[in-house]
Amino acid sequence: MIKLHINDTEHEVDIEPDTPLLWVIRDSFGLTGTKFGCGISQCGACTLHIDGIAVRSCTLPVSAAVGKKITTIEGLSKHGVAHPVQEAWCKIDVPQCGYCQSGQIMSAAALLARNPSPNDRDIEQAMTNLCRCGSYVRIKQAIRSLVDTKAGAV
Amino acid sequence: MNQIKNLSRRQFLAGSASGLTLAFLLPLSSRKALASQNSPASALTAFLNLNPEGKVTFYNPFIEMGQGTYTSIPMLVAEEMDIDLDSIEVTQAPHGDQYKTMFGGTQRYTGGSRSVRSSYELMRTVGSAARAMLLQAGAQALDVPLAELDTDNGQVRHKISGRKLSYGQLAEIAATLPVPESPPLKIESDFRYIGKPVKRKDTLAKTDGTAEFGIDVKVPGMLYAAVKRNPVYGETISSVDADAVQSMRGVIAVERIPQGVAVVADSYWHAKLALDNLPVSYAKSDNRSFSSEGLAREMRARADEPGLTAEDQGDIENAFEKAADKIEATYEVPFLAHTTMEPMNCTAHVTSSQCELWAPNQGVDFFAQLAAKITGLPLDKITVHTPYLGGGFGRRFYQDYAEQALVLAKKIGQPVKVIWSREEDLQQDFFRPMTVVKHRAALDKSKHITAWHISLTGEGPAGRLFPLKPGQADNSVVEGAIHQPYAIANKRVDWIKHTHQIPIGFWRSVGHSFNGFITESFIDEMAYSAGVEPLVFRSELLNSSPRYLKVLQTATQLASYQAGVIETDAMRYAYGIALHESFGSIVAQVAKVSIEREQPKIHKIWCSIDCGKVVNPDTIEAQMQSGISTGLSQLLLEEVTFKEGKAVQSNFHDYPILPANLMPEIEVAILESDAEIGGVGEPGTPPAAAAVCNALFKLSGTRIRKLPIKEMTFVEARENG
Repeated sequence: MIKLHINDTEHEVDIEPDTPLLWVIRDSFGLTGTKFGCGISQCGACTLHIDGIAVRSCTLPVSAAVGKKITTIEGLSKHGVAHPVQEAWCKIDVPQCGYCQSGQIMSAAALLARNPSPNDRDIEQAMTNLCRCGSYVRIKQAIRSLVDTKAGAV
Repeated sequence: MNQIKNLSRRQFLAGSASGLTLAFLLPLSSRKALASQNSPASALTAFLNLNPEGKVTFYNPFIEMGQGTYTSIPMLVAEEMDIDLDSIEVTQAPHGDQYKTMFGGTQRYTGGSRSVRSSYELMRTVGSAARAMLLQAGAQALDVPLAELDTDNGQVRHKISGRKLSYGQLAEIAATLPVPESPPLKIESDFRYIGKPVKRKDTLAKTDGTAEFGIDVKVPGMLYAAVKRNPVYGETISSVDADAVQSMRGVIAVERIPQGVAVVADSYWHAKLALDNLPVSYAKSDNRSFSSEGLAREMRARADEPGLTAEDQGDIENAFEKAADKIEATYEVPFLAHTTMEPMNCTAHVTSSQCELWAPNQGVDFFAQLAAKITGLPLDKITVHTPYLGGGFGRRFYQDYAEQALVLAKKIGQPVKVIWSREEDLQQDFFRPMTVVKHRAALDKSKHITAWHISLTGEGPAGRLFPLKPGQADNSVVEGAIHQPYAIANKRVDWIKHTHQIPIGFWRSVGHSFNGFITESFIDEMAYSAGVEPLVFRSELLNSSPRYLKVLQTATQLASYQAGVIETDAMRYAYGIALHESFGSIVAQVAKVSIEREQPKIHKIWCSIDCGKVVNPDTIEAQMQSGISTGLSQLLLEEVTFKEGKAVQSNFHDYPILPANLMPEIEVAILESDAEIGGVGEPGTPPAAAAVCNALFKLSGTRIRKLPIKEMTFVEARENG
């Protein structure tokens, strides 16, 4: 049995330790907001947080997440209050097909958590998730709208 | 596990409505057809229904794949019905003739940028008919003359007394009334939604993880299948050693599927692990001789053959004979993959009496028919659920992934979800066809262009699916080369059919995806050969095409376009322009480009569109951004090559698509005109590559005639521009 801490809840699951975390999250726990896109950590559709860091879960063995805090898109908002990144996404209607957006939002949330005032280059470096609809213009716009200018952006 | 769930929709459609009291049947493409409709509404299946609690459900004949139809189509209904858009719940209409709203009520699919433009009037009529019936019901309920009533956002109001009844309260009476013959449509100045930026109805679900895509579907008792076909098209898998994986954890069955094999297991990962370990042998065939390099050679060799003429005006032979000067250029574009972010997947449950399918699709009837064929069941025993699509771009017209799910579910007797790996998704695609296009132009002594000849060599996805009439050119090859707005007296477009040995398919903007790039690059080539600045050259040839000219001028003004190369202390840059009509809309784009580290740096693209009527400008802006990203992606990065019969590329590491850091800023101007309503999902794509390449030519003197340019380097040529 493997013990996992997902979205503030402890879980146990009978699964091989080398199973990619993505498939455990999706198929064992039914948390399907985290998506499968490529299976080789290229596209970022499977991005979630491990101890607050954005991680691509399609190549990460579940054993590597034991003892750590896993947060998925479903756990990003707390107590029914949307996370500011989700709010910004809604405010300017970022998603088109929407498939990559969980991953995009998780990447953006992790970026802003560690750097509340990212400049364009920081955004570019952190936001490497692919979007086939090309929603990149609005993604950038949404992140920029959240940049804490008081924190002294460079 | 034999019970099929979620039949509420079918029960409703069968007429055993529970709490559903107002319904319409409008399989019509125009209001004229509505006049022949005089059946009572209550027994009819519907686009729309209203229950006594006032809940409105809209059965959308078009699917949502990012282009905004789950907002723009119900906007049309809400506008005329006089209800809040938020009060409409949108659900996907099932298969069936009653939802065939296109081409005179004969077809239904989501593609060709046709959803809003094919239903602009029809969906407004649906809303208007509902409103008229509710007013009539209000007159009965309040016992007042109809003329004393109006509606106010979901209520019928008696103007004199101020008494009000909600639509829900009137639903039951309204359901007994006949559908009105010609309900009036609003005048544009009264519009509350149409033409205004409206927030998408699907955004919230797409930001909190709750939006359900096909790959997310969960059915009780469901098994998972990982699949592998022979990567060489037309070849099969000759044998598999199932025993080698039968004892692996979770494995339930190893089954053959058309041209391939599937492992069915208790989880996707177990299925995939076993499939990766499954020894298979491939049957070999002559198809192994196929290579894209060889094909390109063959096609280039045919570029001067006489073709099938798709367009012919004036006398190009004569003009070329008399020409003082001639130019010619051969362009080449590669095979492209769709790589929707959501890989192909489908879930099926087949019993002896029913079949249920959860299929991301762009044409539900095609999938229902396939299910009927494979299961032997009649269409009314088949339910197809269409979840949100994680991208479509033309790939999900094709039903190969659904066929696999149906075959497996039928064999296994339990629900089976098939999920393709990205490798399978890329290598088993229906590829945007490789095409070779030769352009020639004749100039007279005063350097005016007197003739333009375009010869396209290749095969199109439309002709592959639907037989062409004798002498008919494949529109999916020649579209975007024919019907140019430029006043060139003598013009001919020929098609040299060269059959591809692999599956080809509709890819965002289809033939326009390459003809937009090629024709607008060659227009620039003509301009330079005529010695005229590219914007001036185009403007002169558009003198008698004012609508096109206006779109072009809007984009160039927005960009503050400048001729030549602009040098500042900080940067040396140039503007490139392109103008292209597709899917009923005209789009112009101006790209601001510089060269950095021998690579193009695209700073910004200004885009103007005339799509006739504007429904949701916010969606149009998003679709222009999206279309441009696709155009830039094919310019900069995308190419599928074939060696020994199979696709060389397999995943995003060797088939990169446009990443965020290569996406320029984009500014969009939307023009309304008196023209017929045009599409918006695709028209943003065709001009993008040409706008960038035309700027790159100014900067480097290098004319790009082959895509993509990922292996090219660019050096600044000071004398150009």
